[in-house]
Amino acid sequence: MVFNKGATAVLAASILAVSTSVAFAADSMSFVSWGGSTQDAQKAAWAEPFSKASDIKVVQDGPTDYGKLKAMVDSGNVQWDVVDVEADFALRAAAEGLLEPLDFKVIDRDKIDPRFVGDHGVGSFYFSFVLGYNEGKLGAGKPQDWTALFDTKTYPGKRALYKWPSPGVLELALLADGVAADKLYPLDLDRAFKKLDTIKKDIVWWGGGAQSQQLLASGEASIGQFWNGRVYALQQDGAPVGVSWKQNLVMADFLVIPKGSKNKDAAMKFLANSSSAKGQADFANLTAYAPVNKDSVSLLKPELAPNLPTAYAKDQITLDFAYWAKNGPAIATRWNEWLVK
Amino acid sequence: MKMSAVTHRQGNGGAPSVAGATHAKAAVMHNTPTLAQRWRGSRNLLPALLFLGLFFFAPLIGLLLRGVLEPVPGLGNYQALFANSAYARVLFNTFSVAGLVTLFSVLLGFPLAWVITLVPRGWGRWLLNIVLLSMWTSLLARTYSWLVLLQASGVINKALMAMGIIDQPLEMVHNLTGVVIGMSYIMIPFIVLPLQATMQAIDPMVLQAGSICGASPWTNFFRVFLPLCRPGLFSGALMVFVMSLGYYVTPALLGGAQNMMLPEFIIQQVQSFLNWGLASAAAALLIVITLVLFYFYLKLQPESPVGSSNAR
Repeated sequence: MVFNKGATAVLAASILAVSTSVAFAADSMSFVSWGGSTQDAQKAAWAEPFSKASDIKVVQDGPTDYGKLKAMVDSGNVQWDVVDVEADFALRAAAEGLLEPLDFKVIDRDKIDPRFVGDHGVGSFYFSFVLGYNEGKLGAGKPQDWTALFDTKTYPGKRALYKWPSPGVLELALLADGVAADKLYPLDLDRAFKKLDTIKKDIVWWGGGAQSQQLLASGEASIGQFWNGRVYALQQDGAPVGVSWKQNLVMADFLVIPKGSKNKDAAMKFLANSSSAKGQADFANLTAYAPVNKDSVSLLKPELAPNLPTAYAKDQITLDFAYWAKNGPAIATRWNEWLVK
Repeated sequence: MKMSAVTHRQGNGGAPSVAGATHAKAAVMHNTPTLAQRWRGSRNLLPALLFLGLFFFAPLIGLLLRGVLEPVPGLGNYQALFANSAYARVLFNTFSVAGLVTLFSVLLGFPLAWVITLVPRGWGRWLLNIVLLSMWTSLLARTYSWLVLLQASGVINKALMAMGIIDQPLEMVHNLTGVVIGMSYIMIPFIVLPLQATMQAIDPMVLQAGSICGASPWTNFFRVFLPLCRPGLFSGALMVFVMSLGYYVTPALLGGAQNMMLPEFIIQQVQSFLNWGLASAAAALLIVITLVLFYFYLKLQPESPVGSSNAR
């Protein structure tokens, strides 16, 4: 079987090539995020200055895939060094032992908003779910808070909501139903789903940022729950889109290091840099996501600052990532049952 | 999977066949080869078997094992699935969408395949190329184009409203309608190709003989032409059905959340909750149900799907 021998040789050679390239790449690390404009900004604000200052090459990879991350850690062949993940996933993955503990001798924990830092992850940025609406569709009426979503008489049209069973939708339903902000958790699922039942046929679900923008700008949905940065981008483009920050729901992305990362030291340095006052401010100025470093606010561009969640701190309600990390799978079961009912 | 089954079937040349023409052809091949002769060519299967074994069956078995091993060994995942009323609903959605898509792509693909067969040869090739062209365009781009066409402020609704046919936009997307339209369009080539090959192989003299014997055009169509098309029709429809069961992108973009199909359920379990055990149990059930359907398909379809075009 000559053919077989040849094939084995080729296979062996390529495996050899791959493993040597990894062995000699000590001064490089990989950064994984969600792609698109967010990752472009992360590259410009964090990776490029970091590479210049430290001589560590940062290879961009993506998109973030939790299944892949788990598979890498399980198989012991970890190709990713720093990964941008959602806050509740960071906590869940930490509990499952998928993440390296962070070295806070390298990373300055004191400067970071305590809501957005844990033993296994540090905030990448934070953002708010805000009430966005299409002014062309709603006319003169300006919706004020989440109750407007459930008032189909005053504000007719479709409602755009985030389609994944993750922090946000259930909370806003409970707030609209009159639950006090400090009494949200543990979530009263029956009450939340009952409230959502009242508008179920009017909901269009969005799965990603671009889709949400398309729904809102086209008027396909007249009102809904959106990421603040996406609504801001639409306004910048001149779309007739309004926003209410009342009870804006704070959610965050975390940067984590998968367990068994081959370039742990470089990754820690990268995190120290990205969570610094300058790193966070530079990224915020590029994206309209909010900085997690408390010292960054003074470094924000003055015309941008009023459009960030940092300017609406009083109206903020921070979603409970830890609660979701623990109860997410159980909530998802109920969520799916309700959804397809 | 389908192809290997087809080759097996072909070995049994003597299987009882209903249609007259295939019967005649089968009779020609009726020299009953010995078992050794029948398996003579099987060594050619080795590369494909090796490839499939290494890159398909081994990972598949690994995945299915997760369903009974993670997080703890046992049937806990299957218990969780059956206790979850959403899962039955999702399964029902999956099969009804696949069924509807198959129905519509057959209804649309059959006349198309017929036209391609009937028009003069050069034209037929052009038409076939146009059908193929749609397969070469990015799936994502095609799906998004449907979104642009079908949405409330989309081209179709605007045109219909401008013409005064409707005064409220029709809801054609983010629901079952959107999924079925988008997927039927994507699946049509997969039904046209096998069907057209089968139709091409039908001897026009058979139809002529039918009408000479006094069959009306309708009788001729239903009693002669349609039975002759059956192999291509069945294999095309099966392919579309099975592909539709596992489709992700199009339902995710054109469907509403309440029409969740199984692939989306599985992705949610894998990606959001790292619950690979439950995900692989769900996948395993889908495989089992599909295999059962496939078994009935083979039962109903004793002659080989490619037999009539091969035996020329």
